[in-house]
Amino acid sequence: MKIAIYDPPLCCSSGLCGPTLDPVLVKMNDAILALKKQGVEVERFNLSQQIKEVMSNKTVAELIHKNGRKTLPVTFVNGEVFRTGEYPSYEDLCKVLGIEPLKHKPIALNIM
Amino acid sequence: MLWMKEVIMTKYLFFSGKGGVGKTTMASATAIHCATDGKKTLIVTTDPASNLADVFEQEIGHKITPIKGIDNLHAMEIDPDEATREYKERIIGPFREVMPEDVIASLEENLSGPCTTEMASFDRFIDFMEGDEYDIIVFDTAPTGHTIRLLELPVDWSKHIEESAKGSGQTCLGPVQSIQDSKEKYDRATALLKDPVRTTFIFVMRPEALSLYETLRASKELETIGVKSGEVILNGILPEEVCDISFFKKKYYAQQNIIRQTEKTIAQPKRHMFLRDNEVKGVSALKDIGRELFTGKKPHYETERISTAQFVPTFERPDIDSLFLPDGQTKAIFLTGKGGVGKTSISCIAALHIAQKGVKTLLVTTDPAAHIGEVLDVKIGSRPEKITENLFAVMVNQQEAFQEYKERVLNDARGKYSEEMLATMEEELNSPCTEEMAAFDKFIQFIEGKDYEVVVFDTAPTGHTLRLLDLPFDYAKQVEMMAGAAESAEVKKTAQNRFRDIINTLRDKKRTVFTLVLYPESTPIMESYRAMLDLKEAGIETQLVIANMVLQEEVCSNYFFQNRRRMQMKYLEEIKEKFNLPVLQFPLMQEEIKGLFHLRVAVATL
Repeated sequence: MKIAIYDPPLCCSSGLCGPTLDPVLVKMNDAILALKKQGVEVERFNLSQQIKEVMSNKTVAELIHKNGRKTLPVTFVNGEVFRTGEYPSYEDLCKVLGIEPLKHKPIALNIM
Repeated sequence: MLWMKEVIMTKYLFFSGKGGVGKTTMASATAIHCATDGKKTLIVTTDPASNLADVFEQEIGHKITPIKGIDNLHAMEIDPDEATREYKERIIGPFREVMPEDVIASLEENLSGPCTTEMASFDRFIDFMEGDEYDIIVFDTAPTGHTIRLLELPVDWSKHIEESAKGSGQTCLGPVQSIQDSKEKYDRATALLKDPVRTTFIFVMRPEALSLYETLRASKELETIGVKSGEVILNGILPEEVCDISFFKKKYYAQQNIIRQTEKTIAQPKRHMFLRDNEVKGVSALKDIGRELFTGKKPHYETERISTAQFVPTFERPDIDSLFLPDGQTKAIFLTGKGGVGKTSISCIAALHIAQKGVKTLLVTTDPAAHIGEVLDVKIGSRPEKITENLFAVMVNQQEAFQEYKERVLNDARGKYSEEMLATMEEELNSPCTEEMAAFDKFIQFIEGKDYEVVVFDTAPTGHTLRLLDLPFDYAKQVEMMAGAAESAEVKKTAQNRFRDIINTLRDKKRTVFTLVLYPESTPIMESYRAMLDLKEAGIETQLVIANMVLQEEVCSNYFFQNRRRMQMKYLEEIKEKFNLPVLQFPLMQEEIKGLFHLRVAVATL
């Protein structure tokens, strides 16, 4: 089981280092940690930091070329494009991978 | 003068010290000396408000520039914006053709964040420490607090990279594998800084209590990161023969007292440099300084008493109360200017003046090398401390602010996320960018709060202040680019509103008063003028200039001080024309302000 996420240009994908927390990114990271625990291999590419790696993926490069920034993030599940333009939820990913979600569920963060 | 010969043996020379001590002058004179000695020499400044161009009287900028009239000498002023642009172009350049415009734009915006700027400047700085092109590289480093931060960064960063490699593998500075190269580079830089065979740190100080305190503190700070301080230059010593006027005699004895204390408390070799009767500008004046520095030849002074009428510019007295007193809303007063112009004393005077009018006032310092505590003669902490009726003081401590911020974020997240996620968050929050964010957050809380009617900011030197004030603009842009789905929308809006409010407050002349503090000499004027233009570009109008340390006619009764006063008057006229703002003059005091009693006396002269 393998997931690859191609992020839009981010200062960092943690969602923590900017002027305010980015709950979408934090939630994604929580999901990734849970998936890794369940034996899923997760790769992540941030356009600001890994421009070469992102552009060497033909599918992603084409999507970016065709649709521009709004196509990002692109999520691959087992080599196939699963979602573009938004991050998938933990449940969606579990479903497509055919695994049971862990008891702990990532919840949207309410800060500020 | 053996010790200076030893200094020249190392390839890298770092000049350190509080702003206004004559660091740039000493560094430039040293660079000229080395170059004339036949060594291929480069002088580099990392100060965002550099004075190198003013001292050499030629344009330098963000490129290696040959200095006119001196073979073998080159200079460069690292410009953080330019460094960032170069850094960005290295990354984006190759993909410019193959990517849609909106992606390129988004990348460019993203790589304009504060983290990139810090990283890019530092990267450029290290590049100079790696090359073999020069025999001698002189670093006219930025003021102390800033310097230390810059030097500590490589330590922080390599630690940060190491820790992240164990965890999620993503760091604020980029994915671990792609910055392994940089880690080695930063480690090499730190090793070099700590190697006395290759590197010497030269502290420049004035014979004043604050300057001595500052030098001791800075050299201790350097030692904690493993850097040994090298030598000390005591600059601006009053020559005994011209201090036969009682006002200056007292100053002379005060200086001699500090010189004795310096000899006692600092073990490193010391070099004495005397005050000149005119300012040091241009190559020939620098050569003269070099002679004194390297041969110990004291300059010649005219000692006769003369009294000639001289030109004195006239000023309208500004209505400081209408500028400083609040008008229904909390008022923020920022005092900024080159290091050493007396910002701290002036801030304390202004704050006490306002407090005495029955207005609840908070004095905030953001200078990492804060000495409000010394002026008030009270220990200042990270919580507001009552000084006297209506007057409170606080210091924004970057480390403490960072801890507080981290705790707050983690507390909010506790219970909402898995333990693993919390651990990852904790690790991710340990980044230099978060530190800066936290300090800004703390600082801005004082403006947002309603606890005080007036908040007076004794800000760090110009470059540092401008950087801090740039942050809300940077952050507003960054928030704009958040991942953006529906869930982020609420957070995004709150943050956007907050930064917009901050920017509006800074731009509102009724709520924010920017004051430039300077003394009437060329470099403080140039630096303040550039700051005024930078602020204007951000939509912020400067409202007042305070000309400090003005020599009073009645005490300048010999050639030496009359000459200095003539120079000051010329520059006061320049201030009047250049800034076109109300100017408040403040006389040179006979003694340094220490304690409330002294401060009250100073306020009375306002």
